[in-house]
Amino acid sequence: MAEQPIPQREAAEAGPAPALDMPPERRRAAMAHAALLSQTAARVATELPLSADVDDFRRILAAEARP
Amino acid sequence: MMELEQLSARALAQAIRGKKVSSLEATRAALGRLAAAHERTNCTLSLEAEEALAAAAACDAAIAAGKPIGPLAGVPLAHKDMFDRRGKIASWGARIRAEKPATQDATVIARYKAAGALQIAALHLTEFAFGPTGHNYVLGHARNPWDPTRITGGSSAGTAAAVAYGAIPAGLGSDTGGSLRLPAAACGVASIKPTWGRVSRAGAMPLAPALDTIGVIARHVEDLALMLGLLAGADPRDPAATTLPVPDYLAHLDQPIRGLRLGIDAGVIGSAHPQVQGMLQQVTKILEGQGLVTAACRFPDWQTLDHLVQLTQMPDCSAVHAAYLRSRPNDYGPQVRARLELGHFIGAVDHLTALRARGSYLRRTLEDTFKDIDIAVLPILADPLPTIAELDIGGGPTLQAAMARVVKYTRPINYLGLPTLALPVPRAGGLPNGIQLVGRPFAEAQLLAVGQAYQREVPPEVARPLA
Repeated sequence: MAEQPIPQREAAEAGPAPALDMPPERRRAAMAHAALLSQTAARVATELPLSADVDDFRRILAAEARP
Repeated sequence: MMELEQLSARALAQAIRGKKVSSLEATRAALGRLAAAHERTNCTLSLEAEEALAAAAACDAAIAAGKPIGPLAGVPLAHKDMFDRRGKIASWGARIRAEKPATQDATVIARYKAAGALQIAALHLTEFAFGPTGHNYVLGHARNPWDPTRITGGSSAGTAAAVAYGAIPAGLGSDTGGSLRLPAAACGVASIKPTWGRVSRAGAMPLAPALDTIGVIARHVEDLALMLGLLAGADPRDPAATTLPVPDYLAHLDQPIRGLRLGIDAGVIGSAHPQVQGMLQQVTKILEGQGLVTAACRFPDWQTLDHLVQLTQMPDCSAVHAAYLRSRPNDYGPQVRARLELGHFIGAVDHLTALRARGSYLRRTLEDTFKDIDIAVLPILADPLPTIAELDIGGGPTLQAAMARVVKYTRPINYLGLPTLALPVPRAGGLPNGIQLVGRPFAEAQLLAVGQAYQREVPPEVARPLA
């Protein structure tokens, strides 16, 4: 199915991922699940220092190596 | 006649090198067993008999001529069909595929070729390696070699089924949320999911690059050691592949393990099915018998880890598939399509929060969970082995909850990037299942040494239909 351009206002009203061809019940389920995960993200964000960086993970893995 | 199906890859390589069996004999036998395994389990996507037999004959000629050969020379292997091979198009377990044949082998394929291994087939996987059960709504579901009504686990379903059946001693898989461990547990074999970054992913189909890890499934722990040693190491084609030195895993297999501390998080384990908790206690006793000392440990809040890994994984997968999901949505199976859609609903800020928090949660795990232990033991499947029918839920409304239960004990470990060794539990005549040992970063050698000791008590088995 070719992707059709969606007017900006209509897209905003449609919610996330308006270009995806999804039945309403699956769209609602996806939004509900994303909202649940978002609550965790919001809580975790309050524990993180401003300096937390996406590269910390790789640095710590290497620094803690126990070959 | 040697019982070829029982041999490890290492033992088979020694037998070929020592001219006790030819590569041609071993390859013919493996092709025959793989055909039988396929009939029972749907494990094979393409059998490559002609090429494999020609390569085997060339290997035998090289040995006869006294030419130098690699450590896996002439050994028939087969792998999950998600790796580039020059001149071929991998199926990715899907209808959507690359438009042109690969021009270069994936690094892991190239390293096995350099070691002399043969590839006799491309093996089943869940569509795009995105599913933990072995269901594939595009190419057909995989069936368990012990009981064809049961799941194989996924996504490396074909490799686990073929290894369990004795068709091949070992093969490649990948793990983004449990895809090396779940099929190993379900089929009663072992696997190693290395530390994230230990093995190059160049030329492997991406699923969620932040989490994707290539590893090995085998019946024998010594094969995991041999084959991980051949795979691991830096690769200019994959900047995430670490330059840390690669230990000689085989040489470390018999390192002392007495006194190692085995951590048990009773809170996390408590939500597994009672039978699974019983299996874990049984394995713990066996390891105590090998000299390990058990101690309590506590992971960071498990549900938080589970949410963080979803926040990491889902947008990563959806981004990889964004163009196809818009242009060819009907070419996806219902389950993968529904899961890929989900990532579009997760906000960029939440995704980045999960990525920013990853280092912090890893540090907390190492400083707290691993403070007084060396290795943690966890279930793999939360429940006794489900049937294919029980989990045949397509993309329906129970999808998220059902998938969450299957990967409950596996995907949080991907967020932490830690190495795991999956080991089968003693079956006592029943269905297979497994446990995972989780180590500190790059502690694969220690895990493998424990696994080697475990297999002295619980030897590898070849799967045969249960009565």
